Amino acid sequence: MRLRKLLVLIIGLMTAFALVAAACGNDGDDGGTTPSTAGQIESGGESGDGSQSAAGDEAPAGSVSGSVTISGSSTVEPISVRVAELFEDVQPDVHVTVDGPGTGDGFKLFCEGETDISGASRPIKDSEAETCAENGIEHVELRVGIDGIAVMTGESSPVECVTFNDIYGLVGPESTGFGSWADAGTLSGLATSSLPDADLDIYGPGEESGTFDSFVEIVLEDIADERGQDATTRPDYNANADDNVIIQGIQSGDTTFGWVGFAFAAHASGVKLLQVDGGGGCAGANADTIASGEYPVSRALYIYVNKAEAAENPALTAYVEYYLSDEGLGTAVSDVGYVTLADDAKGAARANWAGR
Amino acid sequence: MAKARLIGDRTNKMMVQAMERRATDVRGRVFHVTLLVTLLISLFILAVLIVDVVIDSWGFLTGRPGGFLSGTMRSLSDDPKLGVHQALVGTFWIAVFVAVLAFPIGIGAAIWLEEYALKNWFTRFIELNIRNLAGVPSIVYGLLGLFLFVKSLEGLTGGKSIASAGITLAILVLPIVIITAQEAIRAVPQGLKEGAYGVGATKWTMIRSQVLPYAAPGIFTGTLLSMSRGIGEAAPLLLVGAVSGRLGSDSGFFDLSSVTAEHFMAMPVIIVEWVQNSGRDPGFAEAAAAAIVVLLVFVILMNAAAIILRNHFEKKRG
Repeated sequence: MRLRKLLVLIIGLMTAFALVAAACGNDGDDGGTTPSTAGQIESGGESGDGSQSAAGDEAPAGSVSGSVTISGSSTVEPISVRVAELFEDVQPDVHVTVDGPGTGDGFKLFCEGETDISGASRPIKDSEAETCAENGIEHVELRVGIDGIAVMTGESSPVECVTFNDIYGLVGPESTGFGSWADAGTLSGLATSSLPDADLDIYGPGEESGTFDSFVEIVLEDIADERGQDATTRPDYNANADDNVIIQGIQSGDTTFGWVGFAFAAHASGVKLLQVDGGGGCAGANADTIASGEYPVSRALYIYVNKAEAAENPALTAYVEYYLSDEGLGTAVSDVGYVTLADDAKGAARANWAGR
Repeated sequence: MAKARLIGDRTNKMMVQAMERRATDVRGRVFHVTLLVTLLISLFILAVLIVDVVIDSWGFLTGRPGGFLSGTMRSLSDDPKLGVHQALVGTFWIAVFVAVLAFPIGIGAAIWLEEYALKNWFTRFIELNIRNLAGVPSIVYGLLGLFLFVKSLEGLTGGKSIASAGITLAILVLPIVIITAQEAIRAVPQGLKEGAYGVGATKWTMIRSQVLPYAAPGIFTGTLLSMSRGIGEAAPLLLVGAVSGRLGSDSGFFDLSSVTAEHFMAMPVIIVEWVQNSGRDPGFAEAAAAAIVVLLVFVILMNAAAIILRNHFEKKRG
């Protein structure tokens, strides 16, 4: 019967494991200070937010309780989560749940009334807006941050700056089969910079990714339209959904080429961020150039809020107001590695919310 | 006749060969070594995996072991409140659902198939389908769960809840439970059964007093291994309501309301999420490794229970 004792011991251990975790679970509020509120990129300034100072630093007069459900873009997800974490210290009784299946999937749920807020890495499409309208769901669009797309090459590549035409020549629909940077110049009627005759290995996100869509839309679409081509990339490149794998791919050679969200690229070593010329001269990617729009390959990030829910649910209203405060649009956005909006854009988002 | 002679010839030849062979059996040795190498390869891979995960997670687990078990999902890896509590609660309840649903149903189905069902085309058809179901990709069960338990039976399960996830995973492991239990029951010696009938036992008494005790060790091994597989699944859970960013509520282990609450978290899902987050915030790679260690400990404890149960029943049988 020694075995029976052993069995009791094991079951006891499992129960103890569960109990320890359960007991610790309830004192989660003792964490004290929240970390890393220091890494703020924002350049200060109260200029644009006159209408909304009430939602700012002071704790709101009354405490609210309730729950908020958020879905949508996986790019926006970390911002919403960070805002919820900071908001938790002000309003501990508001339970915010955040999921990130993707912009399109998020809008599907949002337009069925399943979620209160939908994050989006692009503006809502007409077809999606129609679905929302058919279901009687009115929304307000709020810009919350900027995600730059970094265009990169290997660390020791001789290339420093590329134009949109160069990128089109390297990865556009007509470049299928090109194995050298210089091949980009062989497309008729496409003015490119002089690119070296060096091996071209391309790494980027796959078609299912929002970063792929944004990249095509910002860089390739206009040129492709002009040349009567489909707005897409060449099919023969190393597509991967995992940004780490893409960055490893770009690191693997001297003259590789690839693109990935700036938030991911900012931490990468062994790669060179290319300057990009979108018509206004070469500009390198960093927080300042992306916020000012000087660096041309960037996209805005949005949240869409269900108006009727906001009117009924004080927890949702309080959360969105906190989102639009300096803690949200400033601290939270930069904490998770995105670029904060310029002051006038913050003001515009606050005005949008106030005038809903 | 011709066939019998052929076999006789072959036997003769083998005898002659055996007698002429050198003292050491070279081919036998080679076979022996090959087997040993295959074993070492699989053990080596396992050891590398475990050592790698433990090294990666060391700082995280030793730094704040209690905090990691009691913390919640956070957006930054250096947050002192980061942890796996919500995911552990989810996985614990999913395991309970699998045990309560899949085991009795699976073992019952196996007994029926082995002891009661007529051996005709219909039974064979059912068995064939069960074997096919065991090979269906888990994401398909996720879709089934989404349409059946999340959408159609929302009133019962609470929609995208732990209950939906638990039932989905119970169904996912059901074919494996049935097959392993069937094998265990099939291994019961015919003599035992006939002996029971011989002393006047009814069919039910025979199954209860002879078949089940004899087959119990095999049934336990199979079912608990299938449970370990079930709680390691991530893909179907993402479809039935596991969240990727933040879970608003953080309920205790024995809070029954969490079972039907909208949205949940589970260990395999949190591992996937943190690995993905590590591109944005490299510290999440360590957090993911630490979560893997926690899940490993959970599974090892469960398997240890299975082994002890098996030994217990084996002794009884012996």
